[in-house]
Amino acid sequence: MRHVFTYCGHFYLYDTGSGSLHECDEKTARYLGGEEVEFTDEELRETLRDVEGLQKEGLLDAPEPAAAPIKSEELKALCLHVSHDCNLRCRYCFADEGAYHSVREVMRFETAKAAIDFLLRESGKRKVLEVDFFGGEPLMNSDVVKRTVAYAKEEAAKVGKKFLFTTTTNGLLLDDETIDFFNREMENVVLSLDGRKEVHDAVRRTVNGKGSFDAVIEKAKKFVRARGDKHYYVRGTFTAKNLDFSKDVLFLADNGFDSISLEPVVTDLPDLAIREEHLPAIEREYETLAEEYLRREREGKGFLFFHFQIDLEGGPCLSKRVSACGAGNEYLSVVPNGDLYPCHQFAGEKDFRMGNVFEGKIDPALRKKFRDSCLFTRKKCSECFAKFICSGGCSANNYHYCGDIDEPYPITCAMMKKRIECAMHILAERKTREN
Amino acid sequence: MIKTIAKPAEKKVTGCGECRSTCQSACKTSCTVGNQSCERVTREQKIGEEK
Repeated sequence: MRHVFTYCGHFYLYDTGSGSLHECDEKTARYLGGEEVEFTDEELRETLRDVEGLQKEGLLDAPEPAAAPIKSEELKALCLHVSHDCNLRCRYCFADEGAYHSVREVMRFETAKAAIDFLLRESGKRKVLEVDFFGGEPLMNSDVVKRTVAYAKEEAAKVGKKFLFTTTTNGLLLDDETIDFFNREMENVVLSLDGRKEVHDAVRRTVNGKGSFDAVIEKAKKFVRARGDKHYYVRGTFTAKNLDFSKDVLFLADNGFDSISLEPVVTDLPDLAIREEHLPAIEREYETLAEEYLRREREGKGFLFFHFQIDLEGGPCLSKRVSACGAGNEYLSVVPNGDLYPCHQFAGEKDFRMGNVFEGKIDPALRKKFRDSCLFTRKKCSECFAKFICSGGCSANNYHYCGDIDEPYPITCAMMKKRIECAMHILAERKTREN
Repeated sequence: MIKTIAKPAEKKVTGCGECRSTCQSACKTSCTVGNQSCERVTREQKIGEEK
């Protein structure tokens, strides 16, 4: 499948079957896109020669690769909801401001321990396992986080496995001791910050209804200074209130954060939700961000924006690409009482309860539903150029917006496609610079 | 004129499942599977080195 697109005066052709990206002139782009174009004889000869050459190399009009989704039932990762409570009351929180539509509670160590045992037992031959400490705010239960890390490492060593840990935190409880612990034990830390003070404070409020920016920003900066070259992401959210979100990304970059992710809000709150009429502004904003991203990179002041990284030469294997994120099969969430859900975004939804770590079993029907769900069961993705990059989107997003884990939400798709085009342009500009 | 910018490298190993779990990366809401690097080799090296 050919995807011809224009980006700030550049013309690109992405071949979905082979996964190759090409740049061309305007006439060739229009011709490749199926338009009638007046070529000179020489231009036509050159274009046809190029097209034929790429087709022979398998880089244009290539058949779609045959790849089977991952069918293994070996568990790889758990999201441990160590705290269903939070010290913030962010308006857009999908987790009901930390309570997940239930009582505010924290996970006991015995439950976390049972979850680790469960993951080790269910992981089969897998060597590298992952645990994400999540909430609510996980640092409201930091003792259990620390004890769980120690226990998991000890148990994994006995069977020749290894854990990689991540913590997602709002940063309010960060102190020197926690920073040291994170830098020692966490493979990745995801720190929630939305950008400019007025944007952050409008939604990320304390229990008393005050903005939380001032209470977090210096702690976050201190953490990042101490983080060195270890992985972290400052992860923000944009809403309908800040469609000029490139300013927030750049604000974060200007404040020393060089690994940034900013995601569209997932909410049905009318004043915050992203709607179709916002898409043109959002698409322009991604372009603005991409241009500034490249400018800073050229000047040696580059930073990393999660969605602008794309790996067309390496990247995940095809099986992974068609299997999507693995929620409900190789990745599960564990809530404070030990109940299992396909992922953190399904936590607390009774229809999606998959078992309990103390029972040690995973509901076979629900697991099959999620394991079988893949790019090929997402019918609307079949004609999309981006399918082997996005894998059909987020099952939870699909379900919550469209009522079906296999039904992609058109607004999410539009933003995803724009980000991918920006990432392809950035890749092309980089290659040109290198050569 | 058509200039190739990027084409996928041939891969020998597929479906091993040792790559990073998608939802552990950053976004937690809008994953892009294609932006992750396959970490199998580096991880197995790391484990080997630690043994």
